[in-house]
Amino acid sequence: MAEVQLRNVTKHWGGFTAVDDLSLTIADHEFLVLLGPSGCGKTTTMRMIAGLSDVSGGEIRIDGRKVNALEPKDRDVAMVFQNYGLYPNLNVYENIRFPLKVRKIDASTHRERVLKAAELVELQDLLERRPRELSGGQRQRVALARAIVREPNVFLMDEPLSNLDAKLRVSTRAQIKNLQHELSVTTVYVTHDQIEAMTLADRVVVMNRGVVQQIGTPMEIYDRPSNTFVAGFIGSPAMNLIEGSLAGGVFKAGDMRVSGLPDDGRDGDVVLGFRAEDAFVADGEEPAELEAAIYSVELQGDATMVTMRVGGELCSIKAAKSFEARIGDPLRVRIPSGICHRFDKKTGARL
Amino acid sequence: MNDTAVLRQPFVLRFATVGFIVFWTILAAFPLLWITLMSFKLPIDAFASDPLRVIFGFTTLRERGGLSVTALVLGAFALWLAYHGAEHHGRRFARYLALGGREWLGWLLAALVYVIALILGLFWILPAIVRVVEAILSHIPVLDYLARPMMGLTMQNYRAVWIGYRFYDNFINSMIVTTGTVVISLTVGTLAGYGLARTRSNVAFWLLIAALIFRALPHSVLVTGYLPVFIHSREFLAPLWNWHATAWFFHLFSDQPPTLYGQPLAVIMVLVSINQPFTIWMLRSFFMNIPAELDEAARVDGCSHLGAFRRVIMPVMWPGVITTGLFSFLLAYNDYLVCSLLLDAQSQTMVPAITSFFNRETTTTDQVQAVAAAVSITAPLFLLVIVFQKQIVSGLTQGAVKG
Ligand SMILES: Nc1ncnc2c1ncn2[C@@H]1O[C@H](COP(=O)(O)OP(=O)(O)OP(=O)(O)O)[C@@H](O)[C@H]1O
Ligand SMILES: [Mg+2]
Repeated sequence: MAEVQLRNVTKHWGGFTAVDDLSLTIADHEFLVLLGPSGCGKTTTMRMIAGLSDVSGGEIRIDGRKVNALEPKDRDVAMVFQNYGLYPNLNVYENIRFPLKVRKIDASTHRERVLKAAELVELQDLLERRPRELSGGQRQRVALARAIVREPNVFLMDEPLSNLDAKLRVSTRAQIKNLQHELSVTTVYVTHDQIEAMTLADRVVVMNRGVVQQIGTPMEIYDRPSNTFVAGFIGSPAMNLIEGSLAGGVFKAGDMRVSGLPDDGRDGDVVLGFRAEDAFVADGEEPAELEAAIYSVELQGDATMVTMRVGGELCSIKAAKSFEARIGDPLRVRIPSGICHRFDKKTGARL
Repeated sequence: MNDTAVLRQPFVLRFATVGFIVFWTILAAFPLLWITLMSFKLPIDAFASDPLRVIFGFTTLRERGGLSVTALVLGAFALWLAYHGAEHHGRRFARYLALGGREWLGWLLAALVYVIALILGLFWILPAIVRVVEAILSHIPVLDYLARPMMGLTMQNYRAVWIGYRFYDNFINSMIVTTGTVVISLTVGTLAGYGLARTRSNVAFWLLIAALIFRALPHSVLVTGYLPVFIHSREFLAPLWNWHATAWFFHLFSDQPPTLYGQPLAVIMVLVSINQPFTIWMLRSFFMNIPAELDEAARVDGCSHLGAFRRVIMPVMWPGVITTGLFSFLLAYNDYLVCSLLLDAQSQTMVPAITSFFNRETTTTDQVQAVAAAVSITAPLFLLVIVFQKQIVSGLTQGAVKG
């Protein structure tokens, strides 16, 4: 059990900066998710914590101890790899037992510990199999069991679910969540899937191009994105971001006009953001903030997603599943000022 | 085997394929089978123009005795049994003998027990059984033909070659040269190949070029370059023996710098230098097939970098190491030119030594003995391929095992 601290951690590959000045404290028992698009430096960050890559600058502390110069084996972390990294020449039992064996832990306890770990991930019946005789989901669970058998200080998981099919992903996700709760070990989890991040995390770190964009609980990140990148990355569909001009608390862009925004002198070009599910179709003759022709209609089962064109951008609105309209029909949409987020057009930062 | 309609071949095609393979096998294997038969016969039979005489060796049978059908059948059965036993029960037996979970100890003990059992079985138990069966059969009419010697056989050629002409000296020299070459090539090759497989540098490309050049150059060119150095190695090496910082170390081995010419060490050095780039390059491609995640998992699980190499990577690498080792072995074992130029008569290896049999007065006796020597040289190759067949096949076909 340990706290992990990253202080101004930087990683360069030649002239390229993969992780830039990352500072972060991961509390004891916390489930922290690193989220970001492909190539943003999530894996690099995790590998630096594990000790598989050197840091170019800054320091990493585990449990208060500086570990920059320590070998991976001396950091007492356990890692689950994207492609599992199971030992092909060993059967499941020996795979799970491997960390105990190399760390010279009292051999008489091995069997009990391996069986307990295997039971936690429901592998009891497969102990004699070789990795190549297992399905993807089963391999995944072997990798998990191998990580938990040792009761390490920190778990590191690099997109552990990315090779599983959609259904298995959901059930394994729940299993990981439950496991982390049972063992309450500090966990760093890398993913580019925001649903995984939202469901698993105590806190989420959103990264882009090696720079941290926002750190917060899933709710904070969803409700108060700190810039346009986070707003456009989180949620499905992502937040509508409309460029326009703000003057005296009134936002205008194309056929859209939102009034009642705070009048705090931030006039000028801004980006207005709101979520599809917060806006709604106006009924009757009440005044609407947006009036435009429907660009497309997508049935989603539980709702209908209606897309409209505002200025140059598309903007989606979630309507009831009973909503019926055809492409080209005119539609009036309510966008109350209370659901809107304002962002600076140049920097993208929240206003 | 495969019942999918797409893969089923028309009868004519299959007949042609099988026919061709059988024909080719006979064509290729014929000389080997034929000289094997010849080597067990007296010269007069071995060089007879009647093929039946070469096969059954009538004169040999009359003068030296031979084997009955019973003995041949039982002998073949015993060989099959030895092969089958090793193939199907070897692993379990080794596990059983792995005292305290040390697998290498298990394999060592199993191999030891196996060799002892094989020698006892073939030279003691088998002859006894054959004698008993023959004795029983010879009392039964008609079947007594099976007990009567019908194929002439003599070991005199082999005895002359191995004991008379001290071929075992050449055998030992061959073993020294091949073992030295294989061990050095593989040790350097695995370490360097692993290192290269895990870096992003382009050294590997230059290595490939070097491998091609060294393999393409005629060996005589390399040997010509090395020859003066080896002949004058005493002078070349003298500084190492005289300089005080290194002197104490080299004086541990000898008081004077050695003359390398004529010593197996010289041949090993040349063969390794011919072979090393190729070995490194080949092992590197095997290592590339092993995902880096595997070493990383091991390092996080508690191994040092070298520990991960030893405990996780090497066990997966065996097919690659054995296949590469086989190439080094063949190069060293079959080498003629380097050995004959760099070694003197008393430290000669088997392949060059065989020419000395042909250079004698070449009576038919000498020729049969040369044939027996030739057969003796091929036997270890067969043994090697049979023992390592699985690793060689998987090494040649799939690279290494995937995670
Ligand atoms: N060994 C390396 N040498 C040079 N550049 C590298 C190296 N490893 C990673 N990079 C670069 O660093 C950046 C971050 O890579 P990283 O693997 O951390 O991305 P990621 O966020 O894990 O992406 P993904 O979701 O695709 O796994 C990428 O642009 C990548 O090209
Ligand atoms: Mg990654």
